[in-house]
Amino acid sequence: MGLQMPSYGIQSMLKEGHKHLSGLEEAVLKNIDACKQLSTITRTSLGPNGRNKMVINHLDKLFITNDAATIVSELEVQHPAAKILVLAAKAQQEEIGDGANLTISFAGELLQNAEELIRTGLHPSEVISGYTKAINKTVEILDELVEKGSETMDVRNKDEVVSRTKAAIASKQFGQEDILSSLVADACIQVCPKNPANFNVDNVRVVKLLGGGLHNCTVVRGMVLKSDAVGSIKRIEKAKVAVFAGGVDTSATETKGTVLIHNAEQLENYAKTEEAKVEELIKAVADSGAKVIVSGAAVGEMALHFCERYKLMVLKISSKFELRRFCRTTGAVAMLKLSQPNPDNLGYVDSVSVEEIGGVRVTVVNNEEGGNTVSTVLLRGSTDSILDDLERAVDDGVNTYKAMCRDSRIVPGAAATEIELAKRVKEFSFKETGLDQYAIAKFAGSFEMVPKTLAENAGLNSMDIISSLYAEHASGNSKVGIDLEEGVCKDVSPMNIWDLHVTKFFALKYAADAACTVLRVDQIIMSKPAGGPRRDQPAGMDED
Amino acid sequence: MLRVLNPNAEVLNKSAALHMNINAAKGLQDVLKTNLGPKGTIKMLVGGAGDIKLTKDGNTLLKEMQIQNPTAIMIARTAVAQDDISGDGTTSTVIFIGELMKQSERYIDEGMHPRVLVDGFEIAKRATLQFLEKFKTPVVMGDEPDKEILKMVARTTLRTKLYEALADQLTDIVTNAVLCIRKPEEAIDLFMVEIMHMRHKFDVDTRLVEGLVLDHGSRHPDMKRRAENCHILTCNVSLEYDKSEINAGFFYSNAEQREAMIAAERRQVDERVQKIIDLKNKVCSGKDNNFVVINQKGIDPPSLDLLARAGIIALRRAKRRNMERLILACGGEAVNSVDDLTPDCLGWAGLVYEHVLGEEKYTFVENVRNPHSCTILIKGPNDHTIAQIKDAVRDGLRAVKNTIEDESVVLGAGAFEVAARQHLINEVKKTVEGRAQLGVVAFADALLVVPKTLAENSGLDKQDVIIALTGEHDRGNVVGLSQHTGEPIDPQMEGIFDNYSVKRQILNSGPVIASQLLLVDEVIRAGRNMRKPT
Repeated sequence: MGLQMPSYGIQSMLKEGHKHLSGLEEAVLKNIDACKQLSTITRTSLGPNGRNKMVINHLDKLFITNDAATIVSELEVQHPAAKILVLAAKAQQEEIGDGANLTISFAGELLQNAEELIRTGLHPSEVISGYTKAINKTVEILDELVEKGSETMDVRNKDEVVSRTKAAIASKQFGQEDILSSLVADACIQVCPKNPANFNVDNVRVVKLLGGGLHNCTVVRGMVLKSDAVGSIKRIEKAKVAVFAGGVDTSATETKGTVLIHNAEQLENYAKTEEAKVEELIKAVADSGAKVIVSGAAVGEMALHFCERYKLMVLKISSKFELRRFCRTTGAVAMLKLSQPNPDNLGYVDSVSVEEIGGVRVTVVNNEEGGNTVSTVLLRGSTDSILDDLERAVDDGVNTYKAMCRDSRIVPGAAATEIELAKRVKEFSFKETGLDQYAIAKFAGSFEMVPKTLAENAGLNSMDIISSLYAEHASGNSKVGIDLEEGVCKDVSPMNIWDLHVTKFFALKYAADAACTVLRVDQIIMSKPAGGPRRDQPAGMDED
Repeated sequence: MLRVLNPNAEVLNKSAALHMNINAAKGLQDVLKTNLGPKGTIKMLVGGAGDIKLTKDGNTLLKEMQIQNPTAIMIARTAVAQDDISGDGTTSTVIFIGELMKQSERYIDEGMHPRVLVDGFEIAKRATLQFLEKFKTPVVMGDEPDKEILKMVARTTLRTKLYEALADQLTDIVTNAVLCIRKPEEAIDLFMVEIMHMRHKFDVDTRLVEGLVLDHGSRHPDMKRRAENCHILTCNVSLEYDKSEINAGFFYSNAEQREAMIAAERRQVDERVQKIIDLKNKVCSGKDNNFVVINQKGIDPPSLDLLARAGIIALRRAKRRNMERLILACGGEAVNSVDDLTPDCLGWAGLVYEHVLGEEKYTFVENVRNPHSCTILIKGPNDHTIAQIKDAVRDGLRAVKNTIEDESVVLGAGAFEVAARQHLINEVKKTVEGRAQLGVVAFADALLVVPKTLAENSGLDKQDVIIALTGEHDRGNVVGLSQHTGEPIDPQMEGIFDNYSVKRQILNSGPVIASQLLLVDEVIRAGRNMRKPT
């Protein structure tokens, strides 16, 4: 038996199970196709009237959302090219925290248009160079479109904050944006530090409690802990707080210790010395003026007994980060060991009380004045998935607030910016002489996707809308967008629909980058999927 | 027939073996061909776990592709060796070998013995290397190397790995990085350039940090996030309680005794921390200076607490390699004990700050006085962009280093290959007698694969380009190929230079492996699955 002549080409050289795709037809167009499919999924979720998706992930957890970042991260996209879009959306989510849908949908649209160009005979490299020119031009135009006077804003003025966050929240929770954006604005403004650029998203907490409805949502100036107090004292007002990170208990040595007892008397005495020691410590804490003890670890039975005796309220927070936030809320400094606290290390709260909301006992820590850097949005809703979705909307809002603290410039929302960009980039394409002018024109055309999708999702005739938008913009009304409720084109400034410049900037840039990356690839070499534990076959819909 | 071999063994002999080798070489050439040059296309590699890698770098591609064909493995190894030695030129090596095999195939099919061809290769190789010595452009690397030349070499390399705008930006970064760590009279240690990456913003936000970036932050909430005018203590001292090695225990009969034991346990560590605090008070008292401790070992929470109270920023568990770089960047010396600390041990940095990205923390040590170590901070929106830049930066650094060490460069854009080919055909061929001449011709034609492939990747006509180039060379002009127009250009004017050592390595290793493969006349693969014949 002779070795059969190995077939020519790369396929024969790779290990079994490898897949190798190359060339225009096999790699580039297939990639585009995969990306298109992904963007069709997310596209219907774009905008205020976007539809929800029901996603069941591999852990059988159910998500009902129209937040693109969640959808794509739970979808577990397999196709390598589509994954590039997912990565772009994730980058957008990490950078800004909003606009992930725009990134994917726009990149998908760019690729779809690129396909047409390639089919008419343009080389991908020409498309890339055209797209690169176009995105650079877009960024320039975007800078020009910035609403005058928006560079400086008072991030503590609620009205201004609401007007800027409303569009972001409306795209997630349409119809409830007024309530939510005012909640978000309240929560953010409360914790905004002296230098707004240092605003930390972590300082706005979200606590979800089942039951009630959106109208029961409130903002708490302080924290809400989803746990009960340890002792019997459930409510205290205007008190000092001592925080112990290492737990409230008898201290232990690192070296293993053994109690040496010779006779019964010593046994009795030992317990007494132990008690005396704990009492001494707890008394020292009580003497320092603290009324609340917060422990980062276990609370010993004996220690608890003495705390009760000295009328100290005891809370247990086992998460290290939660404890740090608690310290920020109260202005306390966490001490490692149970000892007499220095007056400087004590924090202060207006009230700490255990309340029962919707059948769950929560501890509400309120601190109205000075030193407080944490606020909590208490969300109420009837089901878990509604709560999750509300949380995502609030997160988007908070992230928008963070972005506006760094760069408060705004551009008209409701597709007004996109149409203006489409118009101007198209004008730019006429000035180009090379083959890439077609790519630039297509890039411009891709912007139409936004108004088109907004209109389609709202059940309007997209063609009518786009043509009337173009007409308005051609006559110089660069702020005309779609009013989705009335289904007409209107100037957006009285409606107060504004998008942040940075969100648009990053979303468009990431989308263009991702599209160009997908186009640049002309060969894919896939190795055999690694072994590892075999996943359960994806459960059919009927099994749920 | 008598079977000598295991029945499962596979044998290929004579021309079948030769053709298998040639085919494999050509196949590999086909894969890598599209990578060459600035207009090369990108390959997407999908790993077993579904991870994505985008690359244009021949070396990365060869490493990631799991090649099984024995001949292809041999060629791939030569290319990897090329990368180890010179950091660039892997794609060129593979396509050069492929082309040598392709040219030989023609002659062998006409009945020529491989041995004669190989002799011709050897002569041609020696002649080409001599020609390279004459052809190279010497660059004087005194105390102040010519930055422009270095930049040009770096740019030539980087443009073949990344798109143009990004490549141009990285050119400055890698050149400055190498010049930063360069010390007169010492070999350049590229390890002293820390490469750190952050998943953040865009690829064009990559920058050079004169100083160090550490990928962790302080572990205490009360430490400063930003400090100016910092004294830096680099140390390798454990600031946490160590359990004794022997199995120890102690007996106590009341709580006081236990408290005393707890205090005693801490005392040792506390004393060490106190020494650092004393030093801090000595150097910083009354001045607006800060103090930063960067420790290779751990610092436990009580010690962190003490340090934080004293206003010291402390970082624990720094990487070992960073300890060396810290000293080069900030000055001072690394201490292994806190017993005799003096202010001389301290380094200095103008600015130390922490940057938080999601869950990750980074500490920047910047504005150092006389850096001999620096950090290239790579940014990119996703992992594959970062990996791509990382590979490119590595090659760029090597290119700059090679130039400084070679003290010479070679004109690029295919100019050298065309010139060498003309030299071989016009001069060397005449000095060779007999059939070995054909070997020289095959070698000379194989050299042309570089300009040919460059032309092909730019969408130009190969033959047109070669005729234009050889014509110019015969007229005595040294020209290369313009990627944009396809016209001959002067590489010197365009600033396209390749590394001398890269070219030399290609010329040395390519023909060797091609000769070996040509001389194979039998391939025997041992029978697999000896026990369980399938």
